[in-house]
Amino acid sequence: MASQDRLTPTLLYPATAAPLLKVRNLSVSYGRQEVVHDVGFELGRGKSLALIGESGSGKSTIARAVLRLLPSGASASGQVEFEGQEILALPERRFRPLRGRAIGFVPQDPGNSLNPVRTIGVQAMEAAALTGETNTAIRKALILETFAQVGLDNPQRVYDSYPHQLSGGMLQRVLIGLAVLPRPALLVADEPTSALDVTIQKRILDLLSRLQQDLDISLLLITHDLAIAAERTDSLVVLKNGSVQEAGKTSSVFSSPASAYARKLHADVPALNPDRYAKLRDPGLRPRTSREAPKIEVSAVTKTFAVDGKILTAVDNVSFAVPAGTTHALVGESGSGKTTTIRLLLGLEEPDSGEISVAGDRVSGRSHQSLRSVWRHLQLVYQNPFTSLDPTWTVEHLVREPLDRFRIGTSQERAAQVREALANVGLAEHLLSRKPGALSGGQRQRVAIARSLVLKPDVIVLDEPTSALDVSVQADIVEVLLTLQAKLGLTYIFVSHDLALVRQLAHTVSVMKQGSVVEQGSVTDIFENPRHAYTASLLESIPAGISEARPALQPKARHTYRQEQLA
Amino acid sequence: MSNAYLTYAAKRLGQAVVVILLAYIFTFVVVSILPGDPITSVLRNPQNGFTEQEIAEIIAAQGLDKPIIVQLWNALSGFLTGDLGMSMRSNRPVATLIAEVLPSTLILASAGLAVALVLALLVAYGTRFVPKKYGQGLLRGFPSLFLSVPNFVIGLMLIHIFGFQLGLFRVINPDSFWATFFAAIALGIPVSAQIAEVLIANLDKEAEQEYATVARSRGIGQARLFATHLLKPASLPVVTVVALTIGELLGGSLITETVYGRTGIGSLVQRSVSTQDLPVLQAVVSLGAVVFVLVNLIADLLYPLLDPRVKIVGGRKRSPTTADEPSIGATKAVAP
Repeated sequence: MASQDRLTPTLLYPATAAPLLKVRNLSVSYGRQEVVHDVGFELGRGKSLALIGESGSGKSTIARAVLRLLPSGASASGQVEFEGQEILALPERRFRPLRGRAIGFVPQDPGNSLNPVRTIGVQAMEAAALTGETNTAIRKALILETFAQVGLDNPQRVYDSYPHQLSGGMLQRVLIGLAVLPRPALLVADEPTSALDVTIQKRILDLLSRLQQDLDISLLLITHDLAIAAERTDSLVVLKNGSVQEAGKTSSVFSSPASAYARKLHADVPALNPDRYAKLRDPGLRPRTSREAPKIEVSAVTKTFAVDGKILTAVDNVSFAVPAGTTHALVGESGSGKTTTIRLLLGLEEPDSGEISVAGDRVSGRSHQSLRSVWRHLQLVYQNPFTSLDPTWTVEHLVREPLDRFRIGTSQERAAQVREALANVGLAEHLLSRKPGALSGGQRQRVAIARSLVLKPDVIVLDEPTSALDVSVQADIVEVLLTLQAKLGLTYIFVSHDLALVRQLAHTVSVMKQGSVVEQGSVTDIFENPRHAYTASLLESIPAGISEARPALQPKARHTYRQEQLA
Repeated sequence: MSNAYLTYAAKRLGQAVVVILLAYIFTFVVVSILPGDPITSVLRNPQNGFTEQEIAEIIAAQGLDKPIIVQLWNALSGFLTGDLGMSMRSNRPVATLIAEVLPSTLILASAGLAVALVLALLVAYGTRFVPKKYGQGLLRGFPSLFLSVPNFVIGLMLIHIFGFQLGLFRVINPDSFWATFFAAIALGIPVSAQIAEVLIANLDKEAEQEYATVARSRGIGQARLFATHLLKPASLPVVTVVALTIGELLGGSLITETVYGRTGIGSLVQRSVSTQDLPVLQAVVSLGAVVFVLVNLIADLLYPLLDPRVKIVGGRKRSPTTADEPSIGATKAVAP
């Protein structure tokens, strides 16, 4: 627990400057269950504050209580003062004029945050109406001007589009534009970048920081990423299970966290701890003799798809080799060809040209039937454990299924192997009869890993195995994976867009862009000495926590924002 | 209107024509292969009192002495040119008989549909704005209540209250506005239940979507949220439901017409069934198929125009869920 004087950041501001937002003793319950307990913080004018914590920490609930957008059935008590006015108890009729005009909201998932069957323009008009401007033509001009301001390069086309016609990054720019258009005093951003690619994440955060400065808006940023919070805000409130663990100036909380929880949070962020797993990983780096055949060999593979009459090259002349017992990472943004590459590797797609072999067996150009023997040695752990496990099956059934499919051993032997696989991923036996619905995200992903382990494969393909999980759960899963590799000599193909994570656990890496490998080599070489501009831009997008200068806020940087291209 | 859409429309239209023809042939074959030869059994029924010579004349006039395949060809070509044959009872063209009663049924069915839509919308609106303590739960129970009460019970109740007790319309030989009005209500209530059911469920789903919350953060009030944001996406599936309830509406019209003593397709069918007038029945069944296919065709053609997310790929429409799926990693465009 933090010492008492660090629990309230009130002391940060001189008593004369009244804070814009003042939250005191805020508690929120869903039904009879209290999820936020007695939370308090203050946010000054033009300042920024991050609420940070894992899922279930209550950070989004606090944001929604401030916005008074809690779902029905939730009730909030305590005081929320905005510009000196208590708003929690205000009748809806009197609070509504503040919405949008004084308090803006940037949501988490841009893909679902605009009405799918109405054009962006119609919805933007709702925001423009809040400015008090009555002339429709001027309103529209305001919208187009704002779209240009947030870096959308064809405002008229965005105005006429439906949400599904734009990319996630563009939609988030639209939403930020709509939120700042009426010039609110406070902007609440609820994980504004967690659904976006890394490089876009950086651009969106840069945009938010710039607007916050230019327009003198106060920012309440909700995030699970300590590195992002440290980089972008003046003060931090660390939450766990609905209670404040620690609060204060970002620089002091970040550099010398007082509470155990903040320290753990700091340790679990891959960007801040590149060498955390060095001990577990380094045995894989031993020097190899040239006669040792690689476990996986992909040579000059190309795959094209015909989409709407156009030919798209999803994978273009990709080659890499992975020595046994090491981890090779494929990194790149969405659409870079990572997923198609692993589908080719697993034999789920046939390459147009090139060859793939795993442990000396060719994967490409084989019949489905003969691939079965390859699949015994080649397993996949899927991205999202919330959708990849059949919810009606028990853990035991899920983990045993591959053994049943390949008719391995007697039923006693199968049961023993299931228990061994579960023990390997650190799950207790009493979970055997549970169904996925009764497991946490981390437990589910362990089940998925156990399921891939039970056939005793040599190679496991990990498709963004932690992207749906919290940072601390991610750290647990990474540890499980590295321990297994050290113990069983597994070879991993690790697909990720998170470079910080790749730096922690991979040995070699291929950086992919638009279907081609732009750079390849050992993790140390690539990260310390990137030769390709694209690799450098990916590396730059890793949030660095607190740095001396905040480059996003330098005036010079304002004109260099890359504009999103219309698809 | 894009080329893809026109291709899609042409394809669906072609399919519709094929379905109608198949439905006609199917009913024809079923009638022909029915055991006991219903046609001659009607003619030879002593109660009808036809002489052998008259029977032979009728059989020759209807072409019943020709091979079955020729009969089918004659019937089908007649059907396509609007000649539906002669009624066996009244010796008048079937097309004329139907044309006499069709407008009355169409008025009743359209009025019934209008009642159903308005009622469904009112109930759905109520479930969002009537507070829990003032009977929102009751409103939510309406669809199941309406669905479980048979159509004729509502019809009889309305006749009893508004016809006999309040004397708003004549019960014998009714033709007034009020008679049609109450018949339409009796017909529309069960249909409205199905529409309301879907509409309520979809409104609940849409209200929970993130975009609704975000719209509220822009200061949009509940009433405007309902009208400008929730109603359109929630109504899209209703288009399909309405098309499917057309069958119900037609079947319900027959019952309602009987209960209210109206002339219409219902009374025509009733008469033709009791006298086994097969050419009329065949024509009415085919007409039902035509209406059903046409309404569903209209729904299919409307859907891509109403929902911008629906993509037409290779002459087929793809629902939003499949259209949202990203194609796997394919990004680099190369000129073919």
